[in-house]
Amino acid sequence: MDVQRYISSGILESYVFGMLPETEQGEVETAVLQYPDVKAAVSSLQLDKERFVQLYAIAPPAGIKERLMEAIRLENTPEGNNLLPDELRAPAAAPANGKYHRREKAPKETPVKQLPVTKTSSNDRLWKYLTAAIVVLLIGSVVMNFFFFQKSTDYKSRYKSLIATKEKLEADKAQQSQASLKKTDSSALAEVDPLSNPDFKWTKITGGGAYAGNEVSVGWNARTQGVYLQATLMPVPPAGKQYQLWAIVNKKLVDAGVFETGAAVSQQLQQMKAMTVAQGFAITLEKKGGSPDPSMDQVCMSAKIAR
Amino acid sequence: MGATLTYTEVELISGLLARDEKIFTYLYDHYSPALYGVALKVVGEEAAAGDVLQEVFVKIWRNIDRYDASKGRLFTWMLNITRNTAIDSLRSKNHKLEQRVQDVNSVALMYEPQLAVHLSVDHLGLTKVIEKLQKDQRIIIDMAYFKGHTQEEIARSLEIPLGTVKTRMRNAIIQLRTLLKQL
Repeated sequence: MDVQRYISSGILESYVFGMLPETEQGEVETAVLQYPDVKAAVSSLQLDKERFVQLYAIAPPAGIKERLMEAIRLENTPEGNNLLPDELRAPAAAPANGKYHRREKAPKETPVKQLPVTKTSSNDRLWKYLTAAIVVLLIGSVVMNFFFFQKSTDYKSRYKSLIATKEKLEADKAQQSQASLKKTDSSALAEVDPLSNPDFKWTKITGGGAYAGNEVSVGWNARTQGVYLQATLMPVPPAGKQYQLWAIVNKKLVDAGVFETGAAVSQQLQQMKAMTVAQGFAITLEKKGGSPDPSMDQVCMSAKIAR
Repeated sequence: MGATLTYTEVELISGLLARDEKIFTYLYDHYSPALYGVALKVVGEEAAAGDVLQEVFVKIWRNIDRYDASKGRLFTWMLNITRNTAIDSLRSKNHKLEQRVQDVNSVALMYEPQLAVHLSVDHLGLTKVIEKLQKDQRIIIDMAYFKGHTQEEIARSLEIPLGTVKTRMRNAIIQLRTLLKQL
């Protein structure tokens, strides 16, 4: 080792004025034991330090000496122990074995081991604070976890209900659009609600004689040739028989199909066979299922389409 | 301390080892101003410095058998105990938040005139030395010795490289030595 270089590196000054980390302190102490020059430099620096701190010397308050002397005198008695600051009090039943007795609590002190002692205790303290901080952080994190878990569960359920609402809305919408599509479809196929469609010309056929009081309405759409029938007031036909509608076309009766009668169907619109032309309608009682030619003796009632 | 010393270091040490109260009284009378001065400089408050001083002398009394003459003079040993006890006290006090952020920030205020009031004993000499020490050298000695900052802490708070701390410390001590010789 280049001793002079070591001496002039500044490490000895830093050592004597107590600013080296523990490892470097040990290094210097080894060098002191090994190299007389280093030892001389260190002790010269220690003298510098002693002179330097003398500059700050000031008489302490008067009471301290008396308290101290009493504490020393009564050192091994409870009274003396109580005179000491808390951190110096001996643990109960300390052995009083004369001048070399040692106390567990007394820090191990040698001139150069001083700094390690401080360091260790400050390290201990540091660890204590670190541990405390870590525990606090841990607790905080657990609390936060709980809090956020709650929140996320909350959000999850809210999200789910949102999804459900959205699905329901979409389903409703789909249904609606389907319904409206159906509506459009059916109106294209056959006129929706022939009752309110102005293209339909409705003819009320009322009966006389045996059929007095009976009434059937027939709607015909000249544009689409659609024919609808509502048997508003029409008795149920005798067994094996059925009423049949005929369109009057150029004074001839053209089959427009059979229809149901009775109270059960009085509110229903029944679609009949389409007609390209018609001047009026007639109803006959035919055998069940209808007949291709009208039984002229069985014409119950008829009406002309109003112009 | 020299002039009034009537005991040699060896006599003091053996007297303390023999639990001689007269030696202890002598030790207190001769060293307490210096040790109290260090304690006061570190903790910055008279009551706390008094507590530190009392603790220091009890430690000296109890642990004299651990004094190792090969590692330095008795006074150096006592100074070390004092500085460490005072810094411990300061830190625990700081931790108790009784005294906040006094460390680095107060370095600049350390040589304010009101502090000189405490320095009755040698304060002419001190003022002379302190005035002549360059500011950054004073600060580094103060931070290291009286406030117990490590090299890393000093490097960080002075914003200088770690290697520069040792060099600057050495220059400061060299200058201090020269100034002390002139007193």
